[in-house]
Amino acid sequence: MSPSPSSIIVRGSIDALPLFIPAIPFAFVFGVVVANAGIPGWLGWSSSPIIFGGAIQVTLFTLLGEGASVAAAVSAALIVGARHLFYSLTLAPRFQDQPAWFRWVGSYVLIDQVFVLIQTKSIEEPAIFRRYFLATGFTFWALWMIFTALGILLGPAIPESWGVEFAAPVLFVSLMMAASDRRDKLIAAGIAMGITLAFSHLPHRAGILIAVAVSVGIMLLIHRRQS
Amino acid sequence: MIATAIILTGLGSYAMRAFFIFALARYSFPPIMLRAIEYVAPTVMAALVISMMTSAEGKLTAGWAESLGLLLAATVAKFTGNHILSLLVGMGSFWAIRWIM
Repeated sequence: MSPSPSSIIVRGSIDALPLFIPAIPFAFVFGVVVANAGIPGWLGWSSSPIIFGGAIQVTLFTLLGEGASVAAAVSAALIVGARHLFYSLTLAPRFQDQPAWFRWVGSYVLIDQVFVLIQTKSIEEPAIFRRYFLATGFTFWALWMIFTALGILLGPAIPESWGVEFAAPVLFVSLMMAASDRRDKLIAAGIAMGITLAFSHLPHRAGILIAVAVSVGIMLLIHRRQS
Repeated sequence: MIATAIILTGLGSYAMRAFFIFALARYSFPPIMLRAIEYVAPTVMAALVISMMTSAEGKLTAGWAESLGLLLAATVAKFTGNHILSLLVGMGSFWAIRWIM
């Protein structure tokens, strides 16, 4: 018997909740960045529904606050977000047997955590995939809308000395392990870490893109040699 | 000006997320491509972790507390698959080591 639509939606929302915890301090960082950039709170917050991407939003307002031109700030923010192209490519086969409306709506909530969550679940049935994806995506969305508003209203509510920002890399390392369900994937992750470190001096976190492309290429070469 | 920047960035990030989903909606993925995309999730997460642990100048900012916290979080995630537990252990050990040292 397949699970009922409502139970999938509930499960997706519950799975999304713990992954949102590390985004909370980030929402407050966002609030501080908007305030420092001298942008009206409502205008800064409007980027949450319009852009819906924490690191992209923070990069945009940091650069605008530093007096960068619109063109420079927008392109830097988009380079920071360029890893979403990899997510789009990876999920393209899963979106093939889906209705067109879901391609439009699903793309809007395709963020890091939703991507990894859906990748670590082996959901074959298109309808279940769709419901689970939208449930996690829009749970994140709703929470991000609320917490970025709180971040703008309350500003630096959490003292920096607590180091709560460290929750973000901790979550991503946990997601990395969940996504590495085979040894070769773990090896690929290790290679990507080394390459990211080697290119970490590049601006706008461009090293991430190089690390992913090169480590995937290396894994394909290794595989070809073995077969 | 600010509004223009927000709208352009919004359009750009939506376009990046939607691009391959639409462009390859009828494409039949060859085996090598299917193999390649299997590595995207682990490698992007790995790259994000290191990226968050380095300064803008490319210096590693992780000390003992961070390194051990990440290692323990990874171990817990590997054996339990539980993200909340992994988060608790990672943050807990990070705070404990910072407090001791």
